[in-house]
Amino acid sequence: MKLKDEEKMVTEPTAKTNQAVANQKDYKDMVFRTLFLLCALLSVLSVIAIITFVFSKGLKPFFGQNAYSLTDFITGLKWDPGKEVYGIFYMIVGSVLATLGAIVLGVPIGLMTAVYIAEIAPKKIVALIRPAIELLAGIPSVIYGAFGLGVIVQLIKKVSPTGQGESLLAVICVLTIMILPTIITLSESSLRAVPKSYREASYGLGASKIQTIFKSVIPAARSGILSATVLGIGRALGETMAVMMIAGNNIGGLPGSLWDKIRPLTSNISMEMSYASGRHQDMLFATGVVLFLFILVINLILIRITRKMGNEGSSN
Amino acid sequence: MKRNRRKIHDSILKGLIYASTTVTIGILVVIMGFVLYKGLPGININFLTRMWDNETTIVDINRNPVTGENSEENYVESLGITIALEDENIIIKDIEKDSPVEDGLNIKEVPYELKEKDIIAKADKVTFRDITVEEAVAALNEGTGTIRLKVTRPGGGIVPMVISTLYIILLTLLIAAPVGICAAIYLNEYAKPGKVLNIIRFAIQNLAGIPSIIYGLFGMLVFVQNLKMQYSILAGGLTLSIMLLPTIISTTEETLKEVPNVYRQGSMGLGATKLQTISKIILPSALPGILVAIILSIGRIVGESAALIWTAGTVAQIPSSLVGSEAGAATLTTKMYWLIKESADLEAATSIAVVLLALVILLNMVSKLITRRFLRSRTGK
Repeated sequence: MKLKDEEKMVTEPTAKTNQAVANQKDYKDMVFRTLFLLCALLSVLSVIAIITFVFSKGLKPFFGQNAYSLTDFITGLKWDPGKEVYGIFYMIVGSVLATLGAIVLGVPIGLMTAVYIAEIAPKKIVALIRPAIELLAGIPSVIYGAFGLGVIVQLIKKVSPTGQGESLLAVICVLTIMILPTIITLSESSLRAVPKSYREASYGLGASKIQTIFKSVIPAARSGILSATVLGIGRALGETMAVMMIAGNNIGGLPGSLWDKIRPLTSNISMEMSYASGRHQDMLFATGVVLFLFILVINLILIRITRKMGNEGSSN
Repeated sequence: MKRNRRKIHDSILKGLIYASTTVTIGILVVIMGFVLYKGLPGININFLTRMWDNETTIVDINRNPVTGENSEENYVESLGITIALEDENIIIKDIEKDSPVEDGLNIKEVPYELKEKDIIAKADKVTFRDITVEEAVAALNEGTGTIRLKVTRPGGGIVPMVISTLYIILLTLLIAAPVGICAAIYLNEYAKPGKVLNIIRFAIQNLAGIPSIIYGLFGMLVFVQNLKMQYSILAGGLTLSIMLLPTIISTTEETLKEVPNVYRQGSMGLGATKLQTISKIILPSALPGILVAIILSIGRIVGESAALIWTAGTVAQIPSSLVGSEAGAATLTTKMYWLIKESADLEAATSIAVVLLALVILLNMVSKLITRRFLRSRTGK
């Protein structure tokens, strides 16, 4: 409702001026203008619809008669739909640990690669590496999953003390690979956006190339790198198909080491969706709600960073 | 002393930079190597041209001997085909020109043309099991008039998934491209800074960050269940349309921004309305960028799985309607997932991966080509 009022506020003044010079062409302009606006508002409508539907189904089991305790759901360490036990705390821990691991590995590797592309590599090599990174970004996640299952899990199986390949470590490895393109592309463009004068000033003070990069260029590009990191977190947290194939998806228990199986929130949803019904299905939506809340927080942080970057850019 | 330390420091960092780049490129090489090594052996003409499932059909054939000589072994004169024994099955090895098997009719009286490599499982009352080729030839030649054959056409090919993927791409773009382009026009050409614009931008940024599994949940709940579309290409297409809106909107907006303001002023100065300016001046000069946005979207549709499994299903069939049980369709990617997860068939899955990789590389190249052309023509002006 509120939205509609605001929409009116914006369209009204132009509507008046249009009436003043009323002719058919302006009328046509108005119709199309409204059409364009409606298309733009469709994205708002989509967000509202997604939130409403997913939340209403996901929150259903915690209200009304025979409600499931929300605390049991959030803090539970066991997921056993057959016995009506739905605890997702160990999944949250699994998701967070996997994401953290991927960021710890992926951000430095990605940033260094971006430094090479933006600052060191000759043009000819850049022309070779760039398409490679674009390809890495375009590979479907199912292929990453197949690769994880066929290569990474097999390697881990050989060295793991548990003799199991599906593990937190496998998930971290695959997620690291999957967020690399995001980190590299965004970091690279923010490194390139650093004005030349920064580098010249640093050279003028007698700094070497490497010192210039690490002491002056990277710090100047930090908000771009930060937003790349946050975007990477979002991607790692939301990744489903690749992770599901290699996580092990245990039915309970906190992961104690890198060799342990985990069950990320996303793979919990997609593992059982095909046969779940009734409360079980609602609980999968509830898992989706928890994931959604995490993503919303990350989105808000990201939007704040990009807005700040925009302000910095305009003040320069 | 100090100088030396700096040198060591620099070389360590330089080493790290080179090592990281090597790791990144190495990963890509290893992944490609893995997919090609495992998947290429499974790729052959049958894989690319056949249906996925074996297809068994009862076919009536009106016998009409082909004139002309054929001295080949195991030639069935009355049907104009040569048969052979393969893996204990009687298969059609060769079909003569004008053979009556080209005009077969299935039980519903719909024409069904037999093809080479089809397995004949039964001819009239004779079941072709543990049978020699000679006996089969005799059975096929027996009698006159119409003969009823039970024919199995072997599957194992990706044709249904390729067609389903194409359908879903078309449907999604049909919905998302107009909406996304119109929204971008509004944002870049009409909108004035204010609350409405902020809300729309906020929504788009949020949509872009939502993981595809959430889109899958939403699509399943709303399109598949509430709107009773069942697992169908329309439900999949609608879900993907919402998912792709942010990509299409922001890429198109970027291109619109690059159209020089002089164009707008020139057009308006000549007395064109804003709408005329948009449709005749701005959109044509932004067309290459919009094309790139669409190609990017195609790439994402081809690679998407989590949002499609619960909306379009995993049945390998060529969908024959938009909604309902005939409309369920597995794309290449969802089928690949299904193969790994449900039948643990990593070989067949990686063969599909080879096709997917080829597609992704092709799409990347096309979008590069357009961008390069576009940039050149711009700077040329």
